[in-house]
Amino acid sequence: MSATDEERLARLALSQIFEPGDYRIVGATAQLGGVKLLELLGTGEHDLPAVDVAERLRSVDPWQQLEIGQRSGMRYVVPGDDEWPAQIDPLDEVTPLYERTGAPIGLWVRGPLSLSSLARSVAIVGARAATTYGADVASGIAADVGRAGFTIVSGGAYGIDIAAHRGALASGVPTVCVVACGADRVYPPSHRRLFDVLAREGAIVSEQAPGAAPTRLRFLSRNRLIAGAALGTVVVEAGRRSGARNTATWATRLSRSVMGVPGPVTSGASEGVHRLIRSGEATLVTCGAEVLEIVGGMGEYLLNEEPAPSLPRDQVTLNEQRVLDAMPAGTGARLDAIAKASGISIILVEGALRVLAGRGLVTLAGDGWRLTPVALQRSSTAAS
Amino acid sequence: MAVATTHCVALSGAVGHLVDVQADVSPGQVGTTLVGRVDPALNEGRDRVRMAVENSDLAWAGTTKRVTVLLSPADLPKSGAHFDLAIAIAILAATGEVDPRALESTAFIGELALNGGLRSVHGVLPMVLAASQRGIQCVFVPEPQMREASMVPDMTVVGVRSLRQVVAALTGSEIPEAPEVPPLSGGRFLSWRGAERLEELDMSDLVGLEDAKYAVEVAAAGGHHMLLDGPKGCGKTSIAERIPSIMPDLATSESVELTAIRSLAGALDPDLGMAVRPPFSAPHHDASKASVVGGGSGRVRPGLISLAHGGVLFLDEFPLFRTDVIEALREPLENGDITVARGEEAVTMPARSLVVLAANPCACGNGTGGKSAECTCTPVQRRDYDLRMRGPIADRIDVVRHLTAARFTYDPLTIQEGSATIRARVVEARQRQAHRYGEQDWRLNGQAPSAALRERWPMTREAQALVDHQIGQGRLSRRGAVKVHRLAWTVADLRGVPIPGRYEADVALSLRQGHPLPTAIVAERAG
Repeated sequence: MSATDEERLARLALSQIFEPGDYRIVGATAQLGGVKLLELLGTGEHDLPAVDVAERLRSVDPWQQLEIGQRSGMRYVVPGDDEWPAQIDPLDEVTPLYERTGAPIGLWVRGPLSLSSLARSVAIVGARAATTYGADVASGIAADVGRAGFTIVSGGAYGIDIAAHRGALASGVPTVCVVACGADRVYPPSHRRLFDVLAREGAIVSEQAPGAAPTRLRFLSRNRLIAGAALGTVVVEAGRRSGARNTATWATRLSRSVMGVPGPVTSGASEGVHRLIRSGEATLVTCGAEVLEIVGGMGEYLLNEEPAPSLPRDQVTLNEQRVLDAMPAGTGARLDAIAKASGISIILVEGALRVLAGRGLVTLAGDGWRLTPVALQRSSTAAS
Repeated sequence: MAVATTHCVALSGAVGHLVDVQADVSPGQVGTTLVGRVDPALNEGRDRVRMAVENSDLAWAGTTKRVTVLLSPADLPKSGAHFDLAIAIAILAATGEVDPRALESTAFIGELALNGGLRSVHGVLPMVLAASQRGIQCVFVPEPQMREASMVPDMTVVGVRSLRQVVAALTGSEIPEAPEVPPLSGGRFLSWRGAERLEELDMSDLVGLEDAKYAVEVAAAGGHHMLLDGPKGCGKTSIAERIPSIMPDLATSESVELTAIRSLAGALDPDLGMAVRPPFSAPHHDASKASVVGGGSGRVRPGLISLAHGGVLFLDEFPLFRTDVIEALREPLENGDITVARGEEAVTMPARSLVVLAANPCACGNGTGGKSAECTCTPVQRRDYDLRMRGPIADRIDVVRHLTAARFTYDPLTIQEGSATIRARVVEARQRQAHRYGEQDWRLNGQAPSAALRERWPMTREAQALVDHQIGQGRLSRRGAVKVHRLAWTVADLRGVPIPGRYEADVALSLRQGHPLPTAIVAERAG
């Protein structure tokens, strides 16, 4: 199924009239449909607050826009299309941040990957001024989560973003890059190789018109799409003022999972993540398996937290432990000496010793009861 | 005239001393004596020379006269069989078989066999070098070692097979036929194979490991010793053995020294000429002290640290090295040479190399940071291991890197940089250092004394404040701060910044403290 051409063109026109993410038309597009909304705007019979779009309305040319986009190998995806990522729609319910909110009117896509792959996806974002540690962890999580069947979403920026894309691409995992400029542009310019590979194997997504320049507000607006497209957002490294925290805020407002990868407490690059974790906004994760446990379906990727390996000496009753503690390490001891040292009656000591002997922890030797090597194992380390 | 003098060279380590070999043939009690602090191998030369002379159909004066041979300076200890030829010629000149005037400015090097044939000897190159410095213009060497001797400029080299050929050459008569002289035996072919393999290694073979790649670039540019730790198979060895490929060619003095050391060790392939590329030497952790620092019974052999002179000395699994070996490394790390003292003899050999230590994170080698499920070490074992890591050598390390296994074998987003590209930056950074330090005694930041850096080459105020803050927080020692200062200069030299600022100091701190680096500095290089 795909949306009608009329609806597609109407939404394209709307996207030219309003800066994408404009909070004033939130919900209206979804409620009325693009065709109807455009019609109302033309007649002025609408109750949208403080919208004066007459000037822009005259100059829009959706046909031309579509042609320009297609020439750059892009398609314009709108609700109603098979590949429309429905999980992004709840953005309409989210209160504005920097006067931006709402589901996108439509999405420009460059690259063969269908946006339906976003149904199971995880966003990995973080500082541009990342460290090699953060980049390494981001790549690793992208690869591990991706191999479990998730699509990796990020923003194509320096640092953690490109590391996440790299992890996905190097492991043959689908990856989507949501950008703040037109999907036909390469920003930052030094990431040309990344965008070339994405255009060949993944998808570059933008709500901005072809050729649009990346501005500060558009970055903030873009972050909501990253958070909205993915089931959960992993923040790997973020300074105190990182855009990644903005993405986390969007995810929180959408009630999606926010996860944070800790770094050294001395590292400024992880300060923002640590704050997210400390405030309870983010869950601490350290590897792909832990991310899967959170974003996967209920019980789908349960982690078996392995307990610390147990030793024979660990599984004893309190009395037996007191007997063991009372026994000298190197030599044998008589029953009465053990009873005296442990402060337990001889009868109980004898019973305990028999149980312990059955487990191979003590043995009766010429000079009395002795600890076996099994009992002595690790007993020195336990004290250190 | 019954006295004649020839020249030969005594070796003390890689340093040669010109020795006058003087023979006196005069009436007296029949016999041959050799004087002038000679060792047993040299003393046996009396018998070798006598039989060689007689079997060459030449008259042996010792049967009717008293022959005294003096090797002077008399206080210099002399060892080795390579004096045979010089002794034989001196005696023959004293009895008039050879014109003494033909011996001027000429040195003779070679061991004699009983049939009058010559045998190859170790260390021809340093000998000929020493002779050249003392004004010798012509040298006779065993034929297989002609090429080695010919590496010394402005030297006439005569390759000979037998004593008769030498006499013929000196008297101007026709050179007689003689059987070929066998070349030196030894492990050379094996090591040559290793060198060949190293030549083919390139940094572009390694995918990922960007952090470590940048660190070795800094190490190579500024001469900083480094420590790499990480789990088994994460690429510590792979990256270490590629460090020579990003180092510039050897300086002339280093080249001469290294070639001389190889000659001494019997590991010189004369077909290759002088050593040009920095060497790579990787002693095993079971290695004895003598094999690593040099020594051994008899002739003092250069150790593996001297064979790494000008290049990289790689100690894999260094906490497992014997304690005496580790202790012995302190001197070369500080001074750039090693002195082997044995009895009255103290031999000094050059050993200035980039030291790269590698270690597993724990004794069992399975610990990988936080995910240590496979580690089977007990806490006590781990503590012991950590203490070994923090030994006296670790104190001399500038760069600390914790490696993790590379995640991929293929990275579609990065063209891996080749060694040649990295080397070009290293060369440029070294030129900046050479320009800055000019006439000073050191050439690289890693060797710069702390006082000089403080007085003449400080960092910017903000950079120094950053470092001071770390000291104040107790995260950095004073000694560590000096290393950070040196590293900051190298980071600046690599970036082409005139003076290390806050950013350079920050990167230097991360390098020193083993913290991860900013990804930007990695991308900066690739872009």
